[in-house]
Order: sequence, then C-alpha cells, then structure tokens
Amino acid sequence: MNENRIQILEMLAAGKITAGEAERLIAALDKQPQAAGDSPKSKPKYLRVVVRSEEGHNPNDPSVVNIRVPMQLLRAGVKLASLIPAQARDHVNCAMREQGMPFDLSQIKPENLEELVDQLDELTVDVSQKYSNVKVYCD
Amino acid sequence: MIPFVARVTVRYKRLDFRIWIPLALVWLLLLPVVLILSPLFLIACAAGRVSPLRVLSVCWDILANTKGSQIEVASAGTSFSTYVF
Repeated sequence: MNENRIQILEMLAAGKITAGEAERLIAALDKQPQAAGDSPKSKPKYLRVVVRSEEGHNPNDPSVVNIRVPMQLLRAGVKLASLIPAQARDHVNCAMREQGMPFDLSQIKPENLEELVDQLDELTVDVSQKYSNVKVYCD
Repeated sequence: MIPFVARVTVRYKRLDFRIWIPLALVWLLLLPVVLILSPLFLIACAAGRVSPLRVLSVCWDILANTKGSQIEVASAGTSFSTYVF
C-alpha cells in the first residue's frame, strides 16, 4: 500500500474525512498512474536529413551534409500549396496526371496537410550504398 | 517571432571562422525594398487571384519558423555551417 493511500485511511480513521471522501480520494489516486501512462510521447521538433559519402575521399573523413528543418517550418511550407493560383493548379494536375499520378491539388485541405506533417513523426528513410548513406528522420 | 540572429561557421584546415549575423538589421535594411516592391506584389496577387493578406501570412509563418534551422556541409577537412536562432 502506498503512502498516500495510508494517509487517506489515517484521515478516515481520525474522522477528518468521510468514507465517501476517502473513496473519491483513493479513486483519484488510482487514476493518477493511468494519466501518467497516457501522456503523449514528445513530438519531434525537427526533420533531419543526413548524407554521408566516402566516395573519392579519405574514408576516415567522409563528406557530410547535415540539414535540420524545424517541423513548424514544414507546416508553414505546406500552406504554400493553398496559394497556388487556379490556373497553375490545373497545369500541375495535368502534369501529374501525365506522370501517372491522377491527383487533384484542389482536394488538399489545410487539415490534410497538417495530418501529413504529423505523420512525418514516424518517418525514417535510410538508404545505404557502398560509399554513401542517406538518412531522413525526425528528432 | 522572426529570427534575429544567424551564425555562420567556416572551418578550413586551421582556420576557424565564425560570424554572427544580426538578422534584425538585415530585415530593417530589406524593409524599404519590400515597400518599393509592394505594388508589384499586389499586382501579382491580383493576377493570380490570391489574397495578398494570405500570402503575407504564409510568408511570415515561413520566416518565423526558420528558427532552429541548421545546415552543415563538411568535406575533406573543410566545413561550413549555418544556424538560425
């Protein structure tokens, strides 16, 4: 039995609280660990792109490109899609259809874009070749 | 808020060069240019049938959220990095 529970029972025994109050307090105590367990996992703040290449250089000193983009910047960036003028949107739709992607940009709503960026949290892309490695992930 | 400081670091062999750029000053210097170009911006918005306020809001969002951006490039003993605060 934990300390808080003992304290409640002592208060009940001393007549400081009623049985009903004690019950409510114990119920609240029981809920506490659940609430702590339910706490959402911290969201990543950045999208990171790391490219390493050892080609043509000393393997001990590889070429590295490391880019960190705030997720908020991605969120702001995807809002640009809503600014595409109707005429340009038709051109884009047409070009995408020609490439085998029948996709209508006008169907994209800001909430869809938000969802898209939210899903990037889970994203990890790792491409490795003999001398080079590309990694995209959120941190 | 929009970023006010950026740091650029260049390392080449023994040279280690670091410069802090007061972006606040850059924004102030760019303000007259923005004002001069604003009629063109309004015409472009009218032509594209896009609300200028919406464009400004998105641009402001993008600018404000560049805080924390970082770019690092390193190759053969030379490295270059920028960090926006």
